[in-house]
Amino acid sequence: MLSVDSLSYRYESAAAPALDNVSLNIPAGGIYGLLGPNGAGKTTLISLIAGLLNLSTGRITLGGEPLATARAAQPRAIALVPQDYAFYPMLTTRENLRFFGGTLGLAGNELATQVEHVIAFARLEQVVGKRAEQLSGGLRRRLNLAIGLLGKPQLLLLDEPTVGVDPQSRHFLLESIAALPAAGTTVVYTSHYMEEVEAICQRIAIIDQGHLLAEGTLENILHSPQPLLEIHLDRSLPVELAERYGAQAIASSKYRLELPAAAELPRLLDELAGHGCLVRDLSFGQHNLEQVFMRLTNRSLRD
Amino acid sequence: MSPRLLALWLKEVIALSRDRHGLMALFIMPTIFILVMTMALRDAFTPGTTIDAPYVVVDLDHSTHSQSLIRRLEKTASFQRVAADDDAEGARQGIATGRQALALVLPKGFGERLLTPSGADGQPTEPLQLMVDPTLNPALQLAFRNQVMATLGALRADELTQRAGKLFGLPTIPGAQAEKEWPDEIISVAVRNDSNVRPPSSVQQNVPAWLIFAMFFVVIPVSSIFITERQQGTLQRLRSMGVPFRLILAGKLLPFFVVNQLQALLMVTVGMFVVPLFGSEALEMPGTLTQLGNWLAVSTAVSLAAVAWALLIASIARTSEQATVVGGVGNILMGAIGGIMVPKFVMPAGMQTLAGFSPMSWALDGFHMVMLRHGSFADLLPSLAKLLAFAILALTAAIWLNQRAVATRS
Repeated sequence: MLSVDSLSYRYESAAAPALDNVSLNIPAGGIYGLLGPNGAGKTTLISLIAGLLNLSTGRITLGGEPLATARAAQPRAIALVPQDYAFYPMLTTRENLRFFGGTLGLAGNELATQVEHVIAFARLEQVVGKRAEQLSGGLRRRLNLAIGLLGKPQLLLLDEPTVGVDPQSRHFLLESIAALPAAGTTVVYTSHYMEEVEAICQRIAIIDQGHLLAEGTLENILHSPQPLLEIHLDRSLPVELAERYGAQAIASSKYRLELPAAAELPRLLDELAGHGCLVRDLSFGQHNLEQVFMRLTNRSLRD
Repeated sequence: MSPRLLALWLKEVIALSRDRHGLMALFIMPTIFILVMTMALRDAFTPGTTIDAPYVVVDLDHSTHSQSLIRRLEKTASFQRVAADDDAEGARQGIATGRQALALVLPKGFGERLLTPSGADGQPTEPLQLMVDPTLNPALQLAFRNQVMATLGALRADELTQRAGKLFGLPTIPGAQAEKEWPDEIISVAVRNDSNVRPPSSVQQNVPAWLIFAMFFVVIPVSSIFITERQQGTLQRLRSMGVPFRLILAGKLLPFFVVNQLQALLMVTVGMFVVPLFGSEALEMPGTLTQLGNWLAVSTAVSLAAVAWALLIASIARTSEQATVVGGVGNILMGAIGGIMVPKFVMPAGMQTLAGFSPMSWALDGFHMVMLRHGSFADLLPSLAKLLAFAILALTAAIWLNQRAVATRS
């Protein structure tokens, strides 16, 4: 559906490019997760897709057509839900929805229908007459999302849509977003919350410092080419074993070991038993997204 | 009508209607200014009116001559006489307590010795005594003194002609108190700069002046909404929805243009109907349709300049606090040098030149051209051209700043 080809972008007066030769393919009808630490280039990529920045190097196509042509033909095809509460605090929920509907060019019955539709979708019925500044964080997120859906977009870009909300609202938002592809809207989802991405995305891309580090289905990304073992013992790992398996201490009595092959695991467990070590917890093979993410981005912590 | 533009206008109207501080700055503040300043400056612009400095005359002589002097002084009516006992000490106390600013003491024997120079007959002539409040403007002290001298002169001249008349057998009206009107009355005519028109009256100065000031105060609500839009990412969202920036600007220009015209309507109404209730003259609006059209042309140009200026400030300022300070102080400076707070015609030449740099001064010139000189549209062109050029420059700068902000954002 949306294809990004050899995309590079450098801000005026910036030393390094914000995006460097990034290519991705976002298929229709799914939720596509976009991951990366702060400053990785996620927002730049989303801004380019949303038409906020002008393309300089590379190509973006929507349904096979260049982005600019596709947007000109269907201005409502792509909608962006920014990370900020991008609406008017002094306007009520309904006034905000009617305003943004109006700026999309909706009018009359169509506007009224769409406003009612997104109110129902985001369950905003109780607060339609309330000024946006009086809404809780969760309701503001829902209003922010509802505005993005007014134009029935084919592609919805969500930038950190669950920041600062309580668990109930987060659960509701994730469920609502997960239901969008069935209604014909493809979603690009960026988040810092790995478990969210793992829960709802079918494909993901990990970018850092403007480079694409990994792209593919969630399964493929999580599948490790090299079996990693994380093990939690009741005491320190004997030095001899630690050296042989290149162990890294990740917490007190918690280690990450590199096994040459899965068949090595029974032997290791035997040896541990021989040293009198009790295994409290163990994970092998399938990684979770956070581990992959930390490994790919070199675990460097950025603000 | 495009639904997008309608939505933008409606949003601005709702947002403004909920901005209590903005509404106060736009409508209440200038109304109060007009009333207060028109009252305070009521007499300042018209020459020859009474001076608000009371005086008493202590008459220790009680002669026909002293009475005549008092009557003559009173007739000139520049200063206000208050009644007093004939007691010099009481008059001194009156000045000390602020009851009056001046006291003239006519000594005993004043009438008798009116034509006798001091020492001419070997006796001293007691001088007239003028007690003054030292805080009274020295020019006014001198003016009163001169008025007394002039009156004395007239009195002596009367006395002389009467006595000489008897001496030379000139005709006199028997029994008449000879208080002739000597043809020495002077009428003040105001001559200002190059024109022979009257300077504006208080209401003619203050209504357009504070209207202009108020129009420029759209900077407060314009920037408060615009900065909210920028900070909350709403502008970005609108851009991502394909709303061009010029449409967003157009969405702001019209509502605030209407607000400016409502301000004009309110201020003119206040000038015409409320100001007279407080004892000042009413504002007179131009009578012909052409002149009303010219008035509208000026108010349109002022409004465009004011809204464009507001959008420029909103684009420069990072926070709405900054916008309030920069916009507010900028307006006050433009008003101070532009003849809003102090009328331009009382400024020294150097300051008048400086005033020529303030858009508010161009606006005031435009309004005065219509209201005082009944100028034609061509006469207005210099003011209109400057205001429109200012509006276009400010708008261009605002657009440029916004485009630059988009390009360098990271």
